[in-house]
Amino acid sequence: MSMFSIGLSGLNAAQNALNTTSNNISNVYTPGYNRELTLLGEQHSAGGGVRVNDIQRQFDYYVADQLNAASTKSSALQAYQTQVSQIDNLLANQDAGLAPLMQGFFSSLEDLASSPSDPAARQGVIGAADTLSAQFRSFDSYLRDMQSGIDGNIRDEITQINNSADQIANLNREIALAKAKIGKAPNGLLNQRDQLVAEINERVDVRLTIQESGTYNLSIGNGQPIVAGTRSFSLEAMSSSADPTRTVVGYNDSAGNQVELDQGTITGGALGGLLSFRAETLNQTQNQIGQLAVSLATAFNAQHQAGFDLNGDPGQALFAVGEPRAFSNKNNAGAATIDAAFGDVDQLTSGDYDLVVTDAAAGEFEITRRDTGERVTATLDASDQLNVGGVVVTIGAAGTLVDGDRFQLQPTRQAAGGLENRISEPAQLAAGQGGGSGDNRNALALQDLQDSLLVGGGATLSGAYAAIVGDVGNRTNIVQANLSAQQGLTEQLEAVQQSESGVNLDEEAANLIRYQQFYQANAKVIQTGSTIMDAILGLR
Amino acid sequence: MRISTVTMYEQSMNALNRQQGEFMRVGQQIATGRKVVNPSDDPQAASRAVQVAQSMAVTEQYADSRISARNALSQEESVLNSVSDAIASAKTLMIQAASDTLSDADRASVASDLRGIYETVIGQANATNGNGRHLFGGYQDASEPFVRAADGSVSYVGDTNTREQRIDASRLMPVADNGQTIFQSVHASAGYVAEADAGNSGSLTFKGPQVIDESDPDFGNSFQLEFDVTGGVTTYSVDGGPALAYEEGTPVEFGGLSITLKGAPADGDRLDVGKAENMNTDLFKTFEKALAVLDQPAVSDAEKAARANTINTAMREFDNSLDNVLTVRASVGARLNELNVVDAVADNRQLNYTQTYSNLIGDLSDPANFAEVVSQYSLRQVSLQAAQKAFVDIKSLSLFDRM
Repeated sequence: MSMFSIGLSGLNAAQNALNTTSNNISNVYTPGYNRELTLLGEQHSAGGGVRVNDIQRQFDYYVADQLNAASTKSSALQAYQTQVSQIDNLLANQDAGLAPLMQGFFSSLEDLASSPSDPAARQGVIGAADTLSAQFRSFDSYLRDMQSGIDGNIRDEITQINNSADQIANLNREIALAKAKIGKAPNGLLNQRDQLVAEINERVDVRLTIQESGTYNLSIGNGQPIVAGTRSFSLEAMSSSADPTRTVVGYNDSAGNQVELDQGTITGGALGGLLSFRAETLNQTQNQIGQLAVSLATAFNAQHQAGFDLNGDPGQALFAVGEPRAFSNKNNAGAATIDAAFGDVDQLTSGDYDLVVTDAAAGEFEITRRDTGERVTATLDASDQLNVGGVVVTIGAAGTLVDGDRFQLQPTRQAAGGLENRISEPAQLAAGQGGGSGDNRNALALQDLQDSLLVGGGATLSGAYAAIVGDVGNRTNIVQANLSAQQGLTEQLEAVQQSESGVNLDEEAANLIRYQQFYQANAKVIQTGSTIMDAILGLR
Repeated sequence: MRISTVTMYEQSMNALNRQQGEFMRVGQQIATGRKVVNPSDDPQAASRAVQVAQSMAVTEQYADSRISARNALSQEESVLNSVSDAIASAKTLMIQAASDTLSDADRASVASDLRGIYETVIGQANATNGNGRHLFGGYQDASEPFVRAADGSVSYVGDTNTREQRIDASRLMPVADNGQTIFQSVHASAGYVAEADAGNSGSLTFKGPQVIDESDPDFGNSFQLEFDVTGGVTTYSVDGGPALAYEEGTPVEFGGLSITLKGAPADGDRLDVGKAENMNTDLFKTFEKALAVLDQPAVSDAEKAARANTINTAMREFDNSLDNVLTVRASVGARLNELNVVDAVADNRQLNYTQTYSNLIGDLSDPANFAEVVSQYSLRQVSLQAAQKAFVDIKSLSLFDRM
């Protein structure tokens, strides 16, 4: 009798093992699938035999954690690299860059100096000024398009993160239910949940805590939970309270309040990559181009206004440029307003500034330059004005300032976008200094600006442009180097993870043969048992 | 280590991707003709390349400027050539007219030749460039710088400015000279000129003045000789000084100068002697003066003396004007010469910039760079093919194929 039951237990075990093998084979390319092993054990009770102890999923939490940490960095760098190489490519085009057009503009001024009253030379200057300012604007609009592209990307990422968080919370519940029902978590659900954690890590860096019950809790930023047991908390794309034109990550907490997350706490995943790119490179580049535009416009306007045109009238401003931008924080307790205008352009920087009221009664501010972190303290003067990096800031209703009120100043962000040539009438070009139609002194003075240190008081126009090219090139270069290093590391960890959890088809082929023989052998046991039984029953 | 099937595929795919990327990059280098395609390929080089390109553009700009400067100066030079020829002919005519043997009719014909020259010089002084702009008006280039009044006198309405152009980083070159400098000036070193007063009624003529002593304390000053005839005795005084006896034909000396006087001065006749720059410096006035005496037949001794004196003075003035025009022409020539020198230097500099630029961006027209990139190209091609082969081989090895 026992031979039958032993054989039967073997058949059963072989069937199970074959099922597991088939399952492994069919899921060889399923993302998130972890290979399964049939764990066999001896049957100790009546008469022996074999039993299936467990269909065990091969999953190493430690390696998975490492891999997630690596891939969240990889995807941050990947997102950064995708964006920064767009600027890199823009600057790679020698002929469409700003440098040749600035050279063209100065060359047209040389023509003007050679024949100051020649209408063709005058028209040439106006044409070159139009082209140059248009190129500044198109450069800026390219960067602005990138800004709005990033806003859109942030929204998409947040939607995906919310979806994944939702699903993880659901899976937490289902897994707990299944455990209660059958005493064991189903491998499929566990795989699914681990896969979602890996996916969410590619979008943003999350910290995973596994409770004793096996429930996954996820938190983000400074520890704000996005999955807590069976509940999920959603992120939301919102406009920044410091700068309403910027989309930032908001967090809806359990009390229903929306909190703006400090972008410095989100560094991983595509979302982190986008935020760092925007803060480090995109804003910076846009500011630098803006600074170049302001320096160009201010110097040319001053010199042009010092001259006289063909009608004997004093020269007008040659270029219009975008004004500095300033915002008062939405959460300010006071009602003070802020207004900004260009002051001493030589002091202008490519940085943005945070202004925080430290002593409202005295009108004292702490001013932080955002890109360098440099801090200074300044006090409002009698006309409620402050000088911040070449910009004159005027605080309106300064009496209503409250300690802790914040303002943000972006001196040159929209300068390049507003650069326009204002002179369209050739006769209005001020080539002379009042000497007559053949007077070219002002044209010479304008031409001399190409060697003057106009930008920040320390660089020529082309020198400043070269610095931008070098800057962007360096950043792109560094990001690319970091990315390939990080990708190498991630690939390594993937291989380690796969060596534990991945399916090897050759191995499964061998298993198929093995368990097929196992099945046949057990069938033989039953057949033998039956033959023996027949032999006994056949005794007469 | 266990290798999962997915790992095998992924690693092969990653290798393929990487090789393909490298291969594409070299392909892009060949297509763009430069090793540094994006700033990120070599940020320092890309940044410096912008600067060097700027220097090249500026050098080019100055080269353009030199072309137009050369045009302007060549044009001026050719005008000055014909002006100096004209003055030389005027001088010859004056020598002809000075001869006493000439009849009034002959003089009239000399006068008509001289008038022709006069008109030529006025025409040249109002010359225009290709754009219809007047060459010699200073900054006032829109209208004729020399205008003729109703009485026929010519005056300068331009200004004293000189247009300059930047022909090199540190050189502003005047690319024109104004009419005043050319036609109404004499060189500071031009000698003494004597001119008889227009109101003289005697037959006084003069020869000279000659410089005999440059160290005389009064040398360089202007002098006026005034004659006095009282009771048949002729005396003269220099600048209101003591009266000295007048002796015809004896050289009179003062202030380091010597002048020989002839004829009989009348009471109150005067003779002005001064450095050319303090006397009439206007070429057109000289012409007008000479034409006036040549046109008029001289009968009396006084009239003949006045004609001789005017021709005498005019000859000196023509000489001085000619010297002045030749000096300006020499300075134009020197400037044209300088342009050639600067051109040569700038060409050399441009060559250096071009070389530096091509080194910075790894220009493939440089054989060394080209060889490097082409060998990279073949190398990457082989690597890519190897990765492809590895992928195919790994894929074809499966235990399932043997079951």
